Amino acid sequence: MSATSSINLTHIQAFLFFAAVISVAFGYLGRRQPKDRLKYILWSFFLFLVVGIGIGWAMYPFSR
Amino acid sequence: MAEELTDRVMEETPGQVPAAGETQNENRALAIGIAGWLVPGLGHALQRMWGRAGVVFLAVGLLVITGARMRGNVFTSKGNDAFDTLGYVADLGTGSFYLAARALEGNGADVSHADGDYGTRFLATAGVLNLLAALHAFEAARGRKA
Repeated sequence: MSATSSINLTHIQAFLFFAAVISVAFGYLGRRQPKDRLKYILWSFFLFLVVGIGIGWAMYPFSR
Repeated sequence: MAEELTDRVMEETPGQVPAAGETQNENRALAIGIAGWLVPGLGHALQRMWGRAGVVFLAVGLLVITGARMRGNVFTSKGNDAFDTLGYVADLGTGSFYLAARALEGNGADVSHADGDYGTRFLATAGVLNLLAALHAFEAARGRKA
């Protein structure tokens, strides 16, 4: 098998990529109308950010 | 006497015995669900839900490609513990894309760095997302939701 080039993402890039892809998928699967989908995607993305960053800060005191 | 009783039960519970058309519809829905699992998005494409089909295909594909190229762990059936087995089940959720992930991990997994660890999560998420989409396609085919 030939070697394939690997992708290197920072923590925040991986986090944003994950949140964006999953939010779009959830929006399309969960809603039918374009306007509802957009609202759901933005809300889901926002919640991913809030929860992810919130958990990150919650773990901060135990990181050292 | 027994026949009379059977007739009465049939009359009183008309929804209990599935009609031939209903069974056929159930089988079609099952086939659509399996198709959606094997090829991400195909379950929706067969029902002409093009937007959902495209998004599922792209989302699962992007997560698999990115996860494998970040040197995430693509689990095999030869796991050492229950977590490896769970990871294998999640990875198998991507259907045929599991083979693509195996082909793309040319350099092997490297979970000693954060990239590899994230890649492992991306691959597992792709599998679970595809299973969710296949279940959605199955339910839509049964007329439960769309």
